[in-house]
Amino acid sequence: MRTGDYKQSYGELVALIDSPPVWLWSAVLLLALIAAPHLLNSYALSFLMIILITVTGALGLNILTGYTGLISLGHVGFLVTGAYAYAVLVSKYHMPPLVGFLGAGVVPALASLIVGAPSLRLKGLYLAITTLAFSFIINTVILEMRWLTNGARGIQVQRPEIFGISFDSDAAFTYLCLGIAVLTLLATLNIRRSRVGRAFVAIRDNDTAARVMGINLHAYKLFAFVTSAFITGIAGALYGIYLSFVSVEGFPFLLSIEALAILIVGGLGSALGAVLGTILIVLLPEATRLVFSLFSAQLDTSFTTGAQELKSMLYGLVIILFLRFQPRGLVGAWHDIRRTWVHWPLRY
Amino acid sequence: MQYLIQLLISGLAIGAIYGLIAMGFAVIYKSTGLVNFAQGEMTMITAYIAWTISTTVSGNVFVVALGAILAAILLGLIIERFVMRPMLGEPVFATVMVTIGLAVILRSAINFIWDAYPHGLDIGMGHGIVHLGGIGVRTGQLAVIATLLLLLAAIWAFFRYSKVGVAMRAVAADDRTALLMGISATRVHALAWAASSVIAGIGGVFFALSYDLSPAMFQLGLKAFPATILGGLDAVLGSGLGGLLIGITENLAGGYVGSGMKEVAGFAMIIVVLMVRPFGIFGERDIERV
Repeated sequence: MRTGDYKQSYGELVALIDSPPVWLWSAVLLLALIAAPHLLNSYALSFLMIILITVTGALGLNILTGYTGLISLGHVGFLVTGAYAYAVLVSKYHMPPLVGFLGAGVVPALASLIVGAPSLRLKGLYLAITTLAFSFIINTVILEMRWLTNGARGIQVQRPEIFGISFDSDAAFTYLCLGIAVLTLLATLNIRRSRVGRAFVAIRDNDTAARVMGINLHAYKLFAFVTSAFITGIAGALYGIYLSFVSVEGFPFLLSIEALAILIVGGLGSALGAVLGTILIVLLPEATRLVFSLFSAQLDTSFTTGAQELKSMLYGLVIILFLRFQPRGLVGAWHDIRRTWVHWPLRY
Repeated sequence: MQYLIQLLISGLAIGAIYGLIAMGFAVIYKSTGLVNFAQGEMTMITAYIAWTISTTVSGNVFVVALGAILAAILLGLIIERFVMRPMLGEPVFATVMVTIGLAVILRSAINFIWDAYPHGLDIGMGHGIVHLGGIGVRTGQLAVIATLLLLLAAIWAFFRYSKVGVAMRAVAADDRTALLMGISATRVHALAWAASSVIAGIGGVFFALSYDLSPAMFQLGLKAFPATILGGLDAVLGSGLGGLLIGITENLAGGYVGSGMKEVAGFAMIIVVLMVRPFGIFGERDIERV
């Protein structure tokens, strides 16, 4: 009798998707997502857009923090750089949107070299604080470079038109976000199973041991920074287009923390975790609002007046509770449930 | 020259506040090995409690000071007992993320309990002006510099000579061995959280006294990061001095370069310092073995 899911060759070990049911479910999910913009109302559609944009950003951070183990508290810095790169290129210099997206990836990637280089000698908490410093410095730089960025006034951004296809409507823009999110997901899954991804994980698990095995720490850490910043920058550009206005205020420091919260809640170092975490964190305030409104109308109004505060308190609470009771996140919980289901009534 | 001295003195005054908060970071790091990202929020709560006492109970300096210190101790103990102690033995990353979650909760709680408007803290002191060689200095500014220096001396003596201080250093160095030697790690942690809360709270009250009390005060915690990184996370005295250094740098950058530079001078400085000494100016280098 087969007692588990065993891999018998290296090919199986690094397969993108290792079982036919997963293929099936992925296809069903993708079809559902393609149908969604035609079925959902505009309120629900806005959540779908935010989820898709946030998934892209969370997958970007996952490369750095989840795979390579470098904690970044400054990812909002890359997000805002990407958004500004797109806004400046497209709105100010009237470049085609594709050039804008390329710029939104490349400019943060270059910026990440600047922050990554001094970070190579740093570890853990010192690195976290350096990245935090970076996000504050980038805000000041943007505010000071008024000739390029309009300073505190911000830049208006239009929905793009690519190859004659207008992404002006919400449904069309959702498809754009979906396309980029799926591409990012495939890209990060492929990075994870490649030689580079395994080097990242080796650095995370024990960097001294990784170095002894011949992994060039500096090159791979910088590579993790660059890839992560590239993806995050593109997510930033999408977020800027979604807001239709790019300004420093649109990208508060809380987004960095939200991104880490997503990874922790989902399960650190797992692409599936980044997706699940995003869905939970984005929908959490809305779900709470629905629960509150079920109880009484009066509770509902008190929630709307203090909504922002209660929402951030919930973030904090969810982060703490997950770290305390389910440090492996939703993915860990899912693995536990699956194991219990398969092996019942045995314990393991 | 007059301008330079003016900048230096106000830099020292704000730097002393950063120094106090940075010492709060260092006390927790030294005994628990954690960076407490909720330090700025704890500072802010103590200042708000001091303000509430001064407006509702009594504006007397001693009443306010005593009330604020007791509240800070209580806050530190509650956080240690209910948030941090359950995380004992978990990886550092997880525990630090818990303090980030805590920071988010505390910050929103402050906006929820009190309002979002700035208030002035008035305890009938600290606003008088003393003339030192032609330069006007507020007594509150002098008081905070003096307080920092006194606390630096007291804490140095505490870690050097007192049994509890030595126990704290032992727990920080190696908590398992310390446990085997009969030191209660939880009690040391509780003490560290209470002490850190009080020291940073003093900084917060002085800030409210010299400037204003507002929900943006949590940024003091972010501003104190450069100070404690500069000094070295594990160097309590270094962090206090780092605060003074950051305060002066900020003020000089703000006075001579531009107001935008004032906000980030500290951060720019730590990036440069960490490139040269990745463990801070006064910090100790870790030696790692596989």
